[in-house]
Amino acid sequence: MGGYGDVQMLNEDGTRMDGRRPDELRKIEIEAGVVPVADGSARVQWGSNLAIAAVYGPMEAHPRKISRQDRCVLDVRYNMAPFSVTDRIRPGFNRRSREIGKVTANALESVVQLELYPRSKIRVEIEIMCAEAGTRCVGLTAASVALADAGIPMTDMVVSVASGKVNGVVILDLNKEEDNYGDADLPMGILPNSGELVFLQMDGNLSPEDFQEAWDYNMGAAKEIHEIMVAALAARYGGDT
Amino acid sequence: MGIPLVPGLLRDHLNELAERDERVDGRGRLEGRPVEVEVNPIERAEGSARVRMGDTIVYAGVKFQIMTPYSDRPDQGGLMTSAEIRPIAGRNWEPGPPSEESIELGRVVDRGIRESGCIDVNGLCILPGEKAWQVIIDLHAISDDGNLFDAFALAAIVALRNATLPAERFDVGEDERLELSCTPIMCSYHKVGGRFVYDANGEEELGGDERIHITLGDDGHVHSLQKGLRGAFTAEEFDDIMQAARARRDELMELVESLEQD
Repeated sequence: MGGYGDVQMLNEDGTRMDGRRPDELRKIEIEAGVVPVADGSARVQWGSNLAIAAVYGPMEAHPRKISRQDRCVLDVRYNMAPFSVTDRIRPGFNRRSREIGKVTANALESVVQLELYPRSKIRVEIEIMCAEAGTRCVGLTAASVALADAGIPMTDMVVSVASGKVNGVVILDLNKEEDNYGDADLPMGILPNSGELVFLQMDGNLSPEDFQEAWDYNMGAAKEIHEIMVAALAARYGGDT
Repeated sequence: MGIPLVPGLLRDHLNELAERDERVDGRGRLEGRPVEVEVNPIERAEGSARVRMGDTIVYAGVKFQIMTPYSDRPDQGGLMTSAEIRPIAGRNWEPGPPSEESIELGRVVDRGIRESGCIDVNGLCILPGEKAWQVIIDLHAISDDGNLFDAFALAAIVALRNATLPAERFDVGEDERLELSCTPIMCSYHKVGGRFVYDANGEEELGGDERIHITLGDDGHVHSLQKGLRGAFTAEEFDDIMQAARARRDELMELVESLEQD
């Protein structure tokens, strides 16, 4: 959140630099079952973002100390490929990735029926192959589809999307420039069936009115994204969307 | 990589198949799995490729950085290849610092490219002693069903052949294609059931013995060799796979040339 209010990010007709309306998502394509050796997987192409998520398990929880008597442990990792951004990222430990992995795990733990698999572990691996703002949302969305593809019982899928603000205007689904030069970013993880939230972060500066508008944009977009997620699973397994 | 206990049953099964000159997935001894290559799938990389060989899927991404040349080679740029097998690639790959296996993978691919001389390191110099390009190839496996070596090497050379030097972004001239003077291609053979097979899959790797990696450039030149894992082989066995590698290299070269982008 640079808050560079003087950088013009909107066209005169109110559209954005990439031609979208303020409440318009980038193009989203989802495919389930893209990692043949995994138990479940998904590829999400979201604007220029490309995330691949794979699920392994349920399997025996080891090391033993992480095992829980009454439930399954979700072992979630988020990682950016070294070539996923303009300036190469050195592989290895990274605080940002660890934090995103943790909040993603906490979101997924809220929907996966962990009590069905005591003393086991489910591994969720999220790899960001190409990044263009909003990768935590893209990764969480991909992980949800991968878990469903693996046949893991869940109360709902998590749909994740962010809104923010540039040049005083609230916008849905920030692209890279809007993220760099905007005033705020509000990513959420939404359960489309109940409207509940399982993931929430925010940074920047939003007035009460702008905050409500950003919140409402995310809630509306979640329904649209959920349809694409369900369609991806239907394409693989058949059935009605 | 955490290697699971190799069931004796799998080895027995592979031995029986070998006696009938068969393979676990029905292929001939020197037959590869179907190869699919996608050029520049990664928008942020300066060159990239996705390679699928059977159920093995990998990406290679090329990035360029500006480096200060080494003091003993002030007019040369640099090349670095790094393989990281993240746990997404399979249930036996574990998180943490690079394993011995992934370090070997990166180094063997690196040697094939470096020793072939396909990248002119002198041509990477921008200002002698001060500025040169460093070429970084990152290898990233998504699905490991065996023979990551060949998949990585193929992805790396396709990514390089389709890479653009981002000179404008670094304010050192105009963007231009990276020029390569030859095309090193790796072919790997694995001892399974007592004889060498080409392009082993995950099961064959698990129940096999030693492996040999051969990188061949243009005109049949050999640029790198690596023998890995436990086992001994004869000169006759080596002659056989070297001959097979020369034939396979020509086939893969045709594939690589058919992919060129403008």
